[in-house]
This record gives sequence, C-alpha cells and structure tokens, in this order.
Amino acid sequence: MKKITMMLVILLAVTTLVFAAGAKEAQKSDTVTLRWAYWGGEARIERSEAAIKIFEAQNPGVKVHQEPSGGAGDHFVKVDTQVAAGAGPDVINMGGNYPDYIPGGPKGHLTLDLFPYAEQGLINLDVIDPGAIAYATVDGALYGLSTGANMPALVINKSLIERVGAPLPPVTSSYAEFRQYLIDLQRRLPSGVYAMQDIGVLASNSTPFGYWTGYNGTPLYIAAEKATKVTAADAKRYLDLFADYRSLGVIPPADIAASYAETNADTSMLVAGKAAIGFLWTNQVDGYQQAMVDEIDLIEFPGAAERNALWQTQSQVYTINKDSPNKEWAAKFVDFLVNSPDAAAVLGTDRGNSVSSIARAVGVSNPNEQKGLDYMAVAGPHTMPENDHVPNDTEFNSTLFLIYQRVAFGQISTAQGGQEIVDLLNRMIEK
Amino acid sequence: MTRPQRTVLNNLSSYAFLLPWLIGFFTLTVYPMIYSLYLSFTHYAIIAPPRFIGWSNYKVMFTSDDRFMNSLFVTLRFVFVSVPLKLIFALIVAMIMNRKLALIGFYRAIYYIPTLLGGSVAISVLWRRLFAFDGIVNIILRNIGWANPPSWISNPKYALSTLIILAVWQFGSPMIIFLAGLQNIPREYYEASSIDGANKVRQFFAITLPGLSPIILFNFIMQMTSSFQAFTQAFIISGGNGGPLDSTMFYSLYLYLKGWGFSEMGYASAMAWVLLLIIGSLTAIAFKISGGLVSYGGGE
Amino acid sequence: MKKQTKTLLSSLAMNAIIIIIGFAMLYPVLWLFSASFKVPNTIFTDASLIPKAFTLNNYVKGWRGIGIYGFGTFFANSFAISLLSVVANVIFCSITAYAFARLEFVGKRFWFGIMLVTMMLPSHVTTIPRYVLFNRFGWINTFLPFIVPKALATDAFFIFLLVQFIRGLPRELDESAVIDGCNKWTIYLKILMPLTVPALITTVLFTFLWTWDDFFNQLLYLTRPELFTVPMGLRLFLDSSGVSSWGSLFAMSTLSLIPCFILFFSLQKYFVRGIATTGIKG
Repeated sequence: MKKITMMLVILLAVTTLVFAAGAKEAQKSDTVTLRWAYWGGEARIERSEAAIKIFEAQNPGVKVHQEPSGGAGDHFVKVDTQVAAGAGPDVINMGGNYPDYIPGGPKGHLTLDLFPYAEQGLINLDVIDPGAIAYATVDGALYGLSTGANMPALVINKSLIERVGAPLPPVTSSYAEFRQYLIDLQRRLPSGVYAMQDIGVLASNSTPFGYWTGYNGTPLYIAAEKATKVTAADAKRYLDLFADYRSLGVIPPADIAASYAETNADTSMLVAGKAAIGFLWTNQVDGYQQAMVDEIDLIEFPGAAERNALWQTQSQVYTINKDSPNKEWAAKFVDFLVNSPDAAAVLGTDRGNSVSSIARAVGVSNPNEQKGLDYMAVAGPHTMPENDHVPNDTEFNSTLFLIYQRVAFGQISTAQGGQEIVDLLNRMIEK
Repeated sequence: MTRPQRTVLNNLSSYAFLLPWLIGFFTLTVYPMIYSLYLSFTHYAIIAPPRFIGWSNYKVMFTSDDRFMNSLFVTLRFVFVSVPLKLIFALIVAMIMNRKLALIGFYRAIYYIPTLLGGSVAISVLWRRLFAFDGIVNIILRNIGWANPPSWISNPKYALSTLIILAVWQFGSPMIIFLAGLQNIPREYYEASSIDGANKVRQFFAITLPGLSPIILFNFIMQMTSSFQAFTQAFIISGGNGGPLDSTMFYSLYLYLKGWGFSEMGYASAMAWVLLLIIGSLTAIAFKISGGLVSYGGGE
Repeated sequence: MKKQTKTLLSSLAMNAIIIIIGFAMLYPVLWLFSASFKVPNTIFTDASLIPKAFTLNNYVKGWRGIGIYGFGTFFANSFAISLLSVVANVIFCSITAYAFARLEFVGKRFWFGIMLVTMMLPSHVTTIPRYVLFNRFGWINTFLPFIVPKALATDAFFIFLLVQFIRGLPRELDESAVIDGCNKWTIYLKILMPLTVPALITTVLFTFLWTWDDFFNQLLYLTRPELFTVPMGLRLFLDSSGVSSWGSLFAMSTLSLIPCFILFFSLQKYFVRGIATTGIKG
C-alpha cells in the first residue's frame, strides 16, 4: 500500500508540473506565433535557433516556434499528417519534392504563391539570383524561396590518395579519362578500400542517374510535355557503366556497398575511409569534413565540361502553408532567413550557398564552406539549366534504389533493369 | 446464494463500469476502423481529399504489386521462424531455471533485460552496427578463423536472419510466463512418475507439455499477433527502406511506406484490413486446433 | 558424501551454464554500456568491452541534447507521459476487467469477443483518423492524445490479463461482501483490487515500458521541441544530413534504459506471481 501511495504522490507532483507548463502556454493571445518545420540535427537546430532569436529581437510581439525532425522522412510524415488534419505549420522546408505540393501535384496543394507577397514588399526578390527564383516558379507562381544553392559534385579523400602515392584526379575529366584514373588508383589502394563508392546505392539515387541522362541529352522528365526522354537502352547503359566498374573492382561489390546507406556522414563509405571518391552535395562539405581527419576536396563529374552536364540547384526551399493564419508574418520571416545578413551569418551554408546578393556579402565563416564556393566557381560554367524533377520523388527514389540493387546483386540483367527504370518513370509521371 | 438478477437496473449499473471502455471503443477504435475501411476503397494522398476507386487497391495488392506479396512473404517467414524459436528457447531456459536456485531472481532479471530494451531506437541502431560488414560479430568471427564472413546486415540472404535473431533474443517475456506455468505443475506428478520408472524425456512429454499447453497457446497467439505487426526494428535497421533488396520489408513497414512515403493512404488502409483478416484467421485456426482450451466468455 | 558432492557439482554446473548463456544474452547491452564511455570515433573500431579510450564526455555532451533543450526536459516529458498513462491504465482497465469478469449484463460474451479482436488491429490503421479527431479537440502538443486512450481502456491486453486474474479469485469473496452490504463499487475497490495487486503491478510495468518507447505517436503529436520525449531526442542524434552523434546517442540510450531497469527490478517479484495466478492453465 505504501508503495502505491508514494507513486500517487509522485504522480500528483508531476501532474501539477504538466498542467503548470500548459498554463504558461495559454497567455500568448496578443503575440503572433509562427511555426517553422524543417529537418536536421544538433548543429542545424542550434543555427536555426540563433536565427530565430535575432528575428524575435527585431520584431517584438512575434514568436517563432521551430519544429525540427531528425530526418526528411520523419519531417514529411509529420507535416503530411498535420496538414491532413488542418494543423500544418506556417513555414515548411521542402527539398526537390516541392512539386508534389503545388496545385495539381500528387499530394495536394499546400504551398502558397509568394509573388503577391513580393509585390507587397514583404519579400525582396530583386536581390535574389534569377536561377533561384526560376527554380521554384511553376506556371507564373513562386512556390518557395531557396534556402541556398548547391551543386552535385564528386568528393575525393585528398589525404588518402596522397598517402598511397597516387596523383590527384583532375577536377575536370572525360568518362574515358575518369575510368582510367579509377583503374590506376585502385591498383595502389590497399585491399578493402575502393577507388569509388557505388553511387547507385544512395538515398538520393536519382541525382547521379539524372546527371547521366542529362549528359546523354535525354532528360528524366520534361514537365511541359509530362514525359520522359529516357529509353530503356539509355537506362541500360547507365547500369552497364556501373556493372563495368564493379567488374573492374573499382567499386565495391553489392553487399558491401549496401552496408553503407550513404544517408549522412557516418553511413558514408568515404568517411569510413573505405572509398577514395564519393558523391556529395556542395553544402554537405562542412559536415563531412568535420567527421574526418583526412582532408577532402571536390571534383566534377566526368564529362561535365564537355557537355555542360552539371547543374546548379537549390538545396531546399522555404515554403509557406497556404492555410497559415499568419501569412504576412510568415513571408517576412522567410524574407529574413534568406535576405538578412544577420541570418546568413548564423545559418552559414548549411542549407546551401546563399542566393541573395546582400546576404552573400557577409562571406563564409570557414574554409570548408569556401571549398564549396571554389568548386561552384569552377564548375559553374559547366552547367545547363536544371531539368524538371520527376513527380512522386520519394517513390521514384525508393523504387529506383530497389531496381539498382537487383541489378547489382545479379538478380536481373542490366537490360531488364533498364526496362524497369523506364516503366517506373512512366508510372511516376502518370500518377 | 443466488446469482445476481438480470434486472434492468442491474444491467445499467454493470454497464456503468463498462462505460469508459465503451466510449473509448466507439470513438477511438470503431470510428477509426470504419473510417479506414472507407479509405481502403479510395485513393487518398493525405492532403487532397479521398477519391473513391472501389476495389482497386485490393485488386492491385494481390495481382500486380510484387513488393506487397514480397512483404507478405517476408513477414510470414519472420513470424513462423522467430515465434517458434522464441518459444522453444523460452521453454528450454525456463526449464533450466525451474529449480531451487539461489540467485533465481537475479537470473530471471538478466534474461529479461533484452526484452526490456525491446522497441528502443538504440538497440536497433546497435544491432545494425553489430552485424555490419566491419561490425563486432564479424570481428569475432574473423578472430576465430572464419576468413571472410559476409556482411550480414546488407546481404539480402542474411539480413532478415539478423532481425529474426533480434526477435528471438528477446525471449524473456514468454520465458517468464513459462516459468510461472512450470512452477504451477505439481511436483507430485513428477515424483509419482519417477517411482513408476519414467525417465526425464517421458516426463517431459507426458507431464510438462500437457500441463503447459494452455500457456503455450497463449504465448503463441500473443507472440504471433505482435510479430505480424513488427515495425520499429526493421525500420531502423534497414534505414527505412526494407532493404537490401526488400529482404527486410516487413508488412507494417511497407504499409507505412505506402501510406506516408508514397502518399497512398487508401492503399495502406487496405493493407491494414488485410492484415487484420490474416491475424484473425490464424488466431481462429490456432484456437480450433487447440480445441478451445481457453474459454472466451468472462462468465463462469 | 558422494551424493552430496554430485548434487553440489550439478548445481554449480547448472548455475555456470545459466551465467554463460546469460552473458551471451547480455553482450549487446554490455556493449552499448561500454560504448557510451568510448571516445566517439573509436566506438566502432574498438571491439572490446573495456574502452581503450575512456571518456565521460558523451554523457556531458549528450545531456545537452539539441542545445536549446536538453535531456533533462526530454526525461521529464517522458516520465510525465508514462506515469500518467500508468495511472490511467491501472484505474480504467481494472474497472473494465471487473465488469467483464464479475458483472452480469446483456451481451457480455459479445463485447468480450470484440474486445479481444481489438488486440489484433494494426495500430497504423487508426493513426490518421485519431489524429484528425484529436486535432479537432485541440490536443496537439499536449499529452492528452497519449493519456485519454488509456483512460478509455483501449489497451485490451491489460483488460484480458486482469480478467484472467480476477476470474482466479473465488466468487465467495464477492458473495460474502454482498451479505455485508457492499455494492458493486465497494466490492471492486475494497475486496478485489487489493487481491489483484500482482496483476496491477504487471500492468504498471508494461504500460510504462511501452509508453516510454512509443516513438511514432510521440513524433506525430509533439511538434514543439520543449515537449519532445526521450525516444525523439535519441532520434535527433541520428541526423540524416550531417554527422550522427554516436557517443551521445549511446550515452543517452543507456540513461534511458535505467528507469526501465529500476522499475523492473523493484517490481519483479509481484510480476511473476501475477502471471502465475492468472489461471491461464485453464
């Protein structure tokens, strides 16, 4: 009996605490509250909080509540469920999947058109790079404001390559040169270390595949035509390319590749020291470098220069919930995050290189971020306008990953894989 | 003494005790169930309103969705391998511990600890690292002479087995229940049969198993029901993708992926109903086979 | 003499076997514990259980959580939800179990069967409709979505357990109580519940454990970091865009297991007794 009494007492104490906390929340009737949902870890959360504090100081009477999730997966599950119940956040970060949420998109219309708010002077678009605005503009409406630009790149473990006495790869090369380089490098590497990671085993699988199809002049998706230009033969050649690398031993066999999910720095083969070359987005350089003792640097995808096959894209976009009760303040907040030099100073290039000329004037705070900028300076000219994103992004990536694995594990042939990829593309477009 | 009268007043006051459950049942169980049944006949992308499409979801599931059939087989394999193994280990260890041991409380606790950790994120993360190509398990295996052990967690042939091991590792719950059941079988039965010349094996089959049979049934049904719904471990260990090659794509994981990942909540709802029917049928079969050892009604 | 030695030896052997198997069972847990004291980038390279590079920093850093809110907050939230859920379940599941086990009313068999069926429902099915409902009540970012279902006895597992247990108690107790002038409520509270303590303790333990680990629902209903719970805090260490903080993850995971251990150890003896007397043997 005594034990139960003790427990009840503890309970009473806790309950009072809980309700007291609840009561504190209640007295905010005259303040404006904004809810901002995004994904990221410790470092990004701290940066975002710092930016929020600056905004709140500049705008008394406005409170911003951040709602971070560990990963993009959790983030969208949460946001989708909340929105379905009519309780979505005001500002929502999205990635290349934002087209899923525009009018007519597969998930339903969630994102607000920002142009009217720019006209009202709440958002300053004049200082933003035109490419960044074009990125999120569909049918004359702007659905998101870029958090920062980035480019796909290949990342090299400089220290490792130098240690085995090999020359560094050229920043720019052709596919033939690159292949030869991989072979030469592999010869010098110790057993268990591979020249390059298997790029098909990535969470954001469609990017290397998108590069390849762009390089071939057969884009993955053309929104205006609602069609893909990729044929089964093209897709097969992509799979053959990696089958070739695999047979040469310059990329790991399927099961070893599969053990590195490559979702972040610590599921990365490169960071684990088992691959000399890998795939990275420029805004990830800082995070990855901090996880490694060896020095890393960026080089272009092979063939980028000869066909301008690379592209500059926006890492993420800030979108505003079309049903937000505080649209004007949300717009001001988004403008602050993108254009304010104070915000840029604390946010850094964590979500991409700033696309706002006034924010950029602040410069970057650390040499890792500078590497990203240097790369973009070199690779910038070797770009074409970004191709449209395939709709149903999540499902596309997930299924592409599966097909790729089937080929890698030898379950199906590259020809069959090629056909399945094309079928998948068409299915995603029809949906 | 007479039994309580089935008067109206009596019924009402009884129902008063049942009220919380009834409210909960209708608002939090029945309403969502009916709503999800309705959703299973629609295409529902979560944000846009549901769109009626008839039996389409069910048709696709059983005729053209390979990943669905795969997830069903993966789950069936998981359930029908891990549950018997779990029960067997639980029984063996319970029998070993069914003696007057000095530290019985301590031992019981040790064997129960893995179950305590059950759904925790940390254990799943840990498991993934333990069975990775360069993980601890392989380090140990290499030390005892196996030169080239495979990468357990990322090889489609073995990935599911690591999850089965994780499930079987947590045999603590059924073990404790077996232990209690064993301690309830009167010692006299064993002593009497000893005198009659029965050896340990005979005793096991003639006394222990029959005595435990209701508990075996209970454990089997409880474990089967929860195994069918296994989610967290597969989710974290495979990084959410059910890989490699969908070899760890549990039914619940595919449901989650379809519903939230691919925005096909209608399809996911259909999957949930199919699962309910499967579990229900298997449970009914289990009861039938066991000859209805556990009585259903709350009455005497 | 010889027989005594034989029994002693066999008993020692038995104990030895149990301990060895027990050690193998516990190995992953021991590994987790030792990893929490290792310097982060040695965690996956150092295979031994004794850290070669020892540090307490994981605990210090991990406790800070995500900077703006630390594990102090997360633990407080987890405790609040779990303890309140325990109280709700104990009270309301036992009331419902009493009704099923002891009271007579029309349709009893039917409702009991239905209740058993609800145990087989995959929880994902009810997620969105419940979310819609709770949102309409304005319960997002409160603890109510976790506690109210418990208070409405939706955990059929415990109802079933308690029903089995109560059935094992002789009806004569009820009957003599009626003679003494007790009504249904007093029978429940004063006679049956004190004798059901072992099964109630079982309910306490399992409710606490399952609520403590319920990541998915906590993810959906708690969006403000100040309300985050321990599993959500742990998830935040597994960042998908940068570096995961393995050291902090393992340190905080170890800490999160401690309340569960303590609860289990202190309730152990009731727990086994509880299962033994549920009359499952039929």
